Amino acid sequence: MKKLLDKYQLDKADILYLLAMTAIGLAIRGILRVVTTVDWTTYWDPWIADLKEMGFAYLATDRYDYAPSFVYILWVISKLPINPMTAYKAVHIVLDFVAAGVMGRIVCKVTGSKCKGIITYGLMLIIPTIWADSALWAQCDIIFMLFVLLCFYELFEERPGQAMFFYGLAFAFKLQSLFIFPFLVILWVNKRIRIQHFLWIPGLYFLSIIPAWIAGRPLIELINIYMAQGAQDVWSLSIKWANIYQIIGNQYFLLEYAEAGTWLILGILMCVMFAMAQKRYRITNEFIVQMALFFAILTPYFLPHMHERYGCLADILAVLYAMMNWKRFYIPLVQILMSFTCYMAYLSHLGDQEPTIYYGVWALAELALLIAVGLDVWRFMTNPENQLPLSETSLFEAFAVRTEDAREGRQ
Amino acid sequence: MDEWLRNLIVKKWKIKALEFSFLDALLAVCITGTGVMLRLAVNDYTPMDGQKQAGLLLELFLIIVCAVIVHDYTGSRNKAFLTYAILAIYPTLVANGALWGQNSSQYAFPLFLGLCILERGERLRGAVALVVGAILAAVRLKLSAATLNLGWPNLYEIIGKSMFVELYNQVALLCLLGILFTIAYVFVKKRIALTRDLILRLFLFLALLLPYLAPSMPASAGFTADIAALLYCMRWPRKFYVPMLHLIVSYSSYAYVINGETKLPMVLYAVILLALLADTGIEIYKEIIKIQRSD
Repeated sequence: MKKLLDKYQLDKADILYLLAMTAIGLAIRGILRVVTTVDWTTYWDPWIADLKEMGFAYLATDRYDYAPSFVYILWVISKLPINPMTAYKAVHIVLDFVAAGVMGRIVCKVTGSKCKGIITYGLMLIIPTIWADSALWAQCDIIFMLFVLLCFYELFEERPGQAMFFYGLAFAFKLQSLFIFPFLVILWVNKRIRIQHFLWIPGLYFLSIIPAWIAGRPLIELINIYMAQGAQDVWSLSIKWANIYQIIGNQYFLLEYAEAGTWLILGILMCVMFAMAQKRYRITNEFIVQMALFFAILTPYFLPHMHERYGCLADILAVLYAMMNWKRFYIPLVQILMSFTCYMAYLSHLGDQEPTIYYGVWALAELALLIAVGLDVWRFMTNPENQLPLSETSLFEAFAVRTEDAREGRQ
Repeated sequence: MDEWLRNLIVKKWKIKALEFSFLDALLAVCITGTGVMLRLAVNDYTPMDGQKQAGLLLELFLIIVCAVIVHDYTGSRNKAFLTYAILAIYPTLVANGALWGQNSSQYAFPLFLGLCILERGERLRGAVALVVGAILAAVRLKLSAATLNLGWPNLYEIIGKSMFVELYNQVALLCLLGILFTIAYVFVKKRIALTRDLILRLFLFLALLLPYLAPSMPASAGFTADIAALLYCMRWPRKFYVPMLHLIVSYSSYAYVINGETKLPMVLYAVILLALLADTGIEIYKEIIKIQRSD
């Protein structure tokens, strides 16, 4: 035991805390695992029942509108000799713990503080939007979030190829991983990622659909599965997510604004990326998280048809950001509170009713967060200390600056 | 005669170590009388049984202990007197015991006694008193199967209080335990010395945090924080808004339960409490930085 503690440089307090938080995390999820939600009865349960009945041939049908990678997991669950809901939730609960571990490692790496890393692990396990997503709601967002976290971990380890591999995996599971895609473009502009690394995204997606293609579902359908998914749930411009449509009205011009909103966010992202690509700057770990968080808040703020859960990526990035910068503690506090309120609005079957704090008020709070994070990004970019000369910056030099930073212990 | 009276009111009296003026004594007598009259005026709303009598007596001791704490922290006799005077007529104290018969002083007294002993450096005895207070408070907790919130405007006022009640009753306590573990872990790992100021700040923070996250919190759940906020303000007068806002929230939640209505939505109070919690948390962080720098 002592050897083990020495190896990982842990003391008794660390072990005690880790054990206690793991037990608490498990107990929370154990209590919530019994809840059966509408999503389970409407989607996963019949899908698993069909998979049990039809086997792999189910993948040839058009009865599922999720990425095939996720349906493969359901296929495995259908083969298990235990209650499907228990098995389904168990898989996601395990991933909650893995994600918490990865978050802890990331924070430990970027802050240089083992204590902060351990605290992050503990906090991740009691964040309401994390346990509610997996253990209560039977949602699967933790899968893509775990891969996004692994992408960050690899980026901080300066292994861009592996980072993009994990990002590709995230995309193969959920379209929402695209919310933060622009930050990867900025990293590419600043020579942290090579263009060929982006091939992991279509490459892994294509690989992931091959079994379903072999099973018999037309390739074009499989390629367009995310498009088809986006065409559903179009009865409101915002599906209980506190964004711009909760301010301007989400029940009018449904068709017109749905299309216009998509073009609007594309335009906004183009403008933002244009502004960010104008200069070259030091890419610090904190700046990477800042950028990703900015895009994770910005994109669903303007995209139409956003669901209650679409802030979950921003939730964990906000925690990461606050761990790197204590002064921003209020960002995860407000973000998670808002996100969880939206979860509860759905889970409480509020329907068209507003939660006690109106969506419009939350949307203004989210706008304030967007501005706060945006200003942080702006301040970083405009700080002369962080700027690098445009023409002279080669990949080698950029690398040299980072190495020098690492030597000096700068984050 | 005039001169004799003028001299009388400022004349210092001394009984053993206690020195006081006629004005001090006058205020003490008059404010105590006012406190008694205030309580008598609202006393009939609930029956005067043994529990209530004991509660009212403990309330008096509680007020005295609080005055002692303020004297210890500030060294100011005037502030201690002022604390005694304010608490004697503090609306939530009067409403809690005399009017509503909640007798929260039964658990608040050992809590504040513990604080008093702890800040004087007697860690073990202080901790024992605090644990007794915490146990007395915990045994009052009766988890509701119908709602997550029994009148105290906390987190559940924001996220909704009627879904998954029985599950969230347990989950909320586990999350709270996780947060307390995290706080304890930080203190152990960072080897943060518990200074007197930090003890007071932490006391208020926990008094705000626990009812904010715990389920089935009644309207009187802010009782400890009400008093702690006043002590906090006496120690750091620029934090005057903390007891002011907390008292408004607390009294409004009493009104909500007793009268069945409030003039402002309860969710607004929940947001105010969250802001106070964040504000107190920031001050703790600053205090820790200060302590670590001085080490």
